[in-house]
Amino acid sequence: MSASAIFVLDLKGKVLICRNYKGDVDMSEIDHFMPLLMQHEEEGLLCPVMSHGNVHFMWIKHSNLYLVATTNKNSNASLVYAFLYKLVEVFTEYFKELEEESIQDNFVVVYELLDELMDFGFPQTTDSKILQEYITQEGAKLEVAKSKVPTTVTNAVSWRSEGIKYKKNEVFIDVIESINVLVNANGSVMSSDIVGSIKLKTMLSGMPELRLGLNDRVLFGLTGRDKGKTVMMEDVKFHQCVRLSRFESDRTISFIPPDGESELMSYRINTHVKPLIWIESIIEKFSHSRVEIMVKAKGQFKKQSVANNVEVRVPVPSDADSPKFKTSTGNAKYVPEKNLVVWTIKSFPGGKEFLMRAHFGLPSVENEEAESKPPITVKFEIPYFTVSGIQVRYMKIIEKSGYQALPWVRYITQSGDYQLRTNV
Amino acid sequence: MPYLGGEETVRELRRALSNPNVQSDPLRYRNTILKVIRTMSQGVDVSGLFSEMVKACATVDVVQKKLVYVFLCSYATLNPELSLLVINTLRKDCQDPNPMVRSLALRNMTNLRLPSLVEYVEQPLTAGLRDRAACVRRVAVLGWAKLHNLQPSSEIDAAVVNELYSLLRDPDPVVMVNCLRALEEILKEEGGVAINKPITHHLLNRLKECDIWGQCEVLRVLQRYRPQSEDELFDILSLLDSLLVSPHPPVMAATLSLFLSVSSSLPAISLAALERVSGPLLAACGSGSREMRFAAVCHIQLLLRSVPGLLGPHYKRFFCGYAEPAYIKERKMQVLVELVNDENVAMILDELKGYCTDVNTDTAQAAISAIGHIGRSYSDRCLQILTGLLGLKQDHITSAVVQTMRDLVWVCPQCSDTVCLALEGCEETLQDIQGRQALLWLLGVYGERISSAPYTLEVLIDGVRSEASLGIKMELLTATMRLFLCRPAETQDMLGRLLHYCIEEETDMCVRDQALLYYRLLHCGIEKTREVLQGRRSDPSLGVLIGRPAKPVSQWACCFNTLEPLSQGTVEAESASRESPEHMTYNPKPNADLSDTLSCSHIEEVHSGSDNAMRCSDSSTDVLASSIAAPLSLSLSPAVSPEDFEHLWLQRQALHTERGAEKIEEVDCAWIEECVRCPAVLHCSPQSLQAAMQLVNIQTLAFTPQHMLPWRVYLYTHTQRSHSMDAPNTTLILGELLCSGEANQKAGVKKGTAYSEAEAEGKEGQLVRKEMDATADRLRVSEDRQEEEEGIKVILNQQPKDDDALRQFLTILTTVLNTLSSEKD
Repeated sequence: MSASAIFVLDLKGKVLICRNYKGDVDMSEIDHFMPLLMQHEEEGLLCPVMSHGNVHFMWIKHSNLYLVATTNKNSNASLVYAFLYKLVEVFTEYFKELEEESIQDNFVVVYELLDELMDFGFPQTTDSKILQEYITQEGAKLEVAKSKVPTTVTNAVSWRSEGIKYKKNEVFIDVIESINVLVNANGSVMSSDIVGSIKLKTMLSGMPELRLGLNDRVLFGLTGRDKGKTVMMEDVKFHQCVRLSRFESDRTISFIPPDGESELMSYRINTHVKPLIWIESIIEKFSHSRVEIMVKAKGQFKKQSVANNVEVRVPVPSDADSPKFKTSTGNAKYVPEKNLVVWTIKSFPGGKEFLMRAHFGLPSVENEEAESKPPITVKFEIPYFTVSGIQVRYMKIIEKSGYQALPWVRYITQSGDYQLRTNV
Repeated sequence: MPYLGGEETVRELRRALSNPNVQSDPLRYRNTILKVIRTMSQGVDVSGLFSEMVKACATVDVVQKKLVYVFLCSYATLNPELSLLVINTLRKDCQDPNPMVRSLALRNMTNLRLPSLVEYVEQPLTAGLRDRAACVRRVAVLGWAKLHNLQPSSEIDAAVVNELYSLLRDPDPVVMVNCLRALEEILKEEGGVAINKPITHHLLNRLKECDIWGQCEVLRVLQRYRPQSEDELFDILSLLDSLLVSPHPPVMAATLSLFLSVSSSLPAISLAALERVSGPLLAACGSGSREMRFAAVCHIQLLLRSVPGLLGPHYKRFFCGYAEPAYIKERKMQVLVELVNDENVAMILDELKGYCTDVNTDTAQAAISAIGHIGRSYSDRCLQILTGLLGLKQDHITSAVVQTMRDLVWVCPQCSDTVCLALEGCEETLQDIQGRQALLWLLGVYGERISSAPYTLEVLIDGVRSEASLGIKMELLTATMRLFLCRPAETQDMLGRLLHYCIEEETDMCVRDQALLYYRLLHCGIEKTREVLQGRRSDPSLGVLIGRPAKPVSQWACCFNTLEPLSQGTVEAESASRESPEHMTYNPKPNADLSDTLSCSHIEEVHSGSDNAMRCSDSSTDVLASSIAAPLSLSLSPAVSPEDFEHLWLQRQALHTERGAEKIEEVDCAWIEECVRCPAVLHCSPQSLQAAMQLVNIQTLAFTPQHMLPWRVYLYTHTQRSHSMDAPNTTLILGELLCSGEANQKAGVKKGTAYSEAEAEGKEGQLVRKEMDATADRLRVSEDRQEEEEGIKVILNQQPKDDDALRQFLTILTTVLNTLSSEKD
């Protein structure tokens, strides 16, 4: 992969922090980055790879930062991006928010991390759980003895250290599914998929051995056998702690969990999902006078379930004014800075239908600029329900001290990228 | 104000650092050093504090050590002498009982990048390789790579290399992977780590222990391995099968790369791997990070070159989301164009139509040109959409549509009627230069069918004084000339005015010269003018290349999973935008037509590969016409199927090797081997080679991709000589072109046998032989000049034997190859 150097820049292109790993690319090359970016942006050719001479910049943007890797080789681009995102992930776990301020405030730790994450342009220790064992923010508060070798660096179970103790042993399991839907202006579903994940919050003492049981329908889908009634899952990822060999042989998900929060597995189901909240909209624009919006929302899920915190975001022209709303339930609010009407419904039972009407005035002088046609987006959360039907049958917790531990399970279905195109 | 207050800050920091009170209080000392680093990060030059910082290095506080090292590594190259002082501290740290301290010291020792310190570093590095803590070994291993990088010329001790090889069996997977990386770097000259069977199997077995970075590294290195038997190959493949569908796109891509390289001789396996990988690739296209998505789409484009139908059913995955950046949208549209088939064309066009009105003008224009590309296969539907878009009267849309229509008409002349109808009235909306140029071209070429053409031109001619663009003026001249040829009565007056203006008043030389050229051309008479200006209106052969055949996997396998497909994109994306070379090619400039009809020398222009092929084949026919004395004609019928070819070829080859070259005349067939020196042919694309060959009626049956060694082409043709009055004397020639890279000497020997054979032929042969000798002499000269040049071995097989025809055929073949070769030079 070989990245020659890594830079963190602010929005103006000023270097906040950098690390020269290989020394084969002049560090001042970064000065070309910002002009290049601006130039490409102007020409509409913005691209995550930019080249100046024989130096390539591969960059990502995160909040108000640019993370840039330079190289002069034909290196593996997707690996470099994966590494840059790993950086973001590690920094975020350290500082909660990764932004200019947090880099400024913690630059000692950032230097330390950059040192450990990569050497000579090759990624080294990138697991933030391990890093957190020996690079701590408290280190800055001077504790001379805080430099003992973490056992995990060479430990067989690298993601968990020994000697963890809790008074009450519990593990929380969250099954979360996000629904991505794209619906055409004429109401046909263009694409839909489910991105699911099982998250753990482990508060268990010692080195517990866990076994997770899922319902058969899902298990068969996971292993790709019996393609009949099962849910076909693709892109299934397990946390490194899961013993893949056991999973492959007898389909048991067994593992020693990392302490605290972690994502045990994630999956994607590419199937035709019925949009859980269906939106029909009529947006009529009378140039120079007004816009009339009528939105009908329908809950297409079981009557027993309830969608919480539903937000329907309807785009309006940027020059609209004097909003008037009428809703059958919930609140509608105009957010002028985003050119949106946000219709909020606190609780939306399945099978119900609600209506919202909005009226906007338009100025008599028309806006010259062409306006984009953003889609209607919907946000929601349905607890105690999963679209795929995945279920946790059991969670067995075995530790040699033999303590009793309680597993807690929660299911949530929520909206992911949920877009419905309009015909205005 | 970092830069202004710089000096003052440095002075203050120095005072603080050398203050004994600060030095005695660890917390204050560390905070001062923190300040130094902070100032350094802000861009202030704090190199003046080097000696103070060197002193600060001797501390038990690890964090302070790290900070000081950051400083030292940044400024060491400026202070090589003072850096020597640090080495002692660092070497002492290497003995520290704490492995963290040891690895830290070792890492920074090698990060100083000072050649003068190498001698002090080697000993601790050697010790580090044997350290009991894995984290120290990791650093030490890479340290050797850094050392080598520092002095690439100096040899690394063979003992160290051996030790690194043995560390490939280290229990720590990161040490193992770092060893690979270090050896790759150190043995770069020798082609990297030696990948033999035991190492390969060891690496494969430990692959599961590595993290994704390690897996990618191992998989990349293993690409060089060539399994010794088919069984071994399949064992490896089945071992890696689970990684092929890995959810981590980089691992999946690396595995696919490995699959493609080890199974390069088994296309069926490559194809199966490509099919298997399509699922994860599609998943990567929906990845959360836009950069990963971009990389995935770019790689899918590569795949589609070889397996065009691969993702046909999944076309919906390439529909663009609203918030996706333009660069992804553009790539996705390019993919959509590739995926079009009868079932999905309606859906895809519908979707693309939606993008045409995108606020981002680049996206809109890319969508319009994508529709134009689809129009080459589904012209009616596309033209309907394009015509509809003209109704929007948006200048950037109209411009893109007109350009797209021009390009479409150039490859699909059957569209011209609809286009002519649609063009009426769109000149009012057109603003930009490219759009107006496209309109002018269409008006000139199809003027007789567009009723308003003269009026449109007249408005432009009247405003020519205020016209700033050179391109518009040139295009206007050509269009008016062309229109004059088909509608003289309406155009004569305005043409006169335009020529007058351009010759008398125009300041730009190009425009004036072109006007003068046309003026003089008109003097030559209307027929001549017509001949020059009304060349071909379209080139349907380009359309054929659009629905191009599947390219072999090996053509792109080498750049799979690197940076190249992504940055290639910028070039490709540009070509999809306005002022692209592609348009230069499709845009039939008048001078391109000239070269067709007047067969004048080549005009230096930007050509795409395909056009190049057409061009060079044109010229090769010219050369051939003069070079062939006896009337020999080649024909492709009856066709020879690849199976027949293979059968015949193997049969005769066996015959040849069995009997030897001397005895071959006993049978009624001929076998010769010849060496032709035209190295650049290797760099010709298969398409251009095929096109050129077909032009002289030689059919190529199979070829390896360009730049591949050994490079082979199989071909056949039927010769026919009708100079004798009796029944035409037909023979079938099968041939192989071969460039193996080291074939030079061998070919030379073979040439000798070919000559003796020719001698036996008698009088007729002698003449030819002289000719051949002359060629050979010439070749020898060039051989002396450029020894590294490769020869192409030509092996020909003829039945029934007709030596004269064979010789003539060889001349034709040589000419074609030479032409192609010189074209490439």
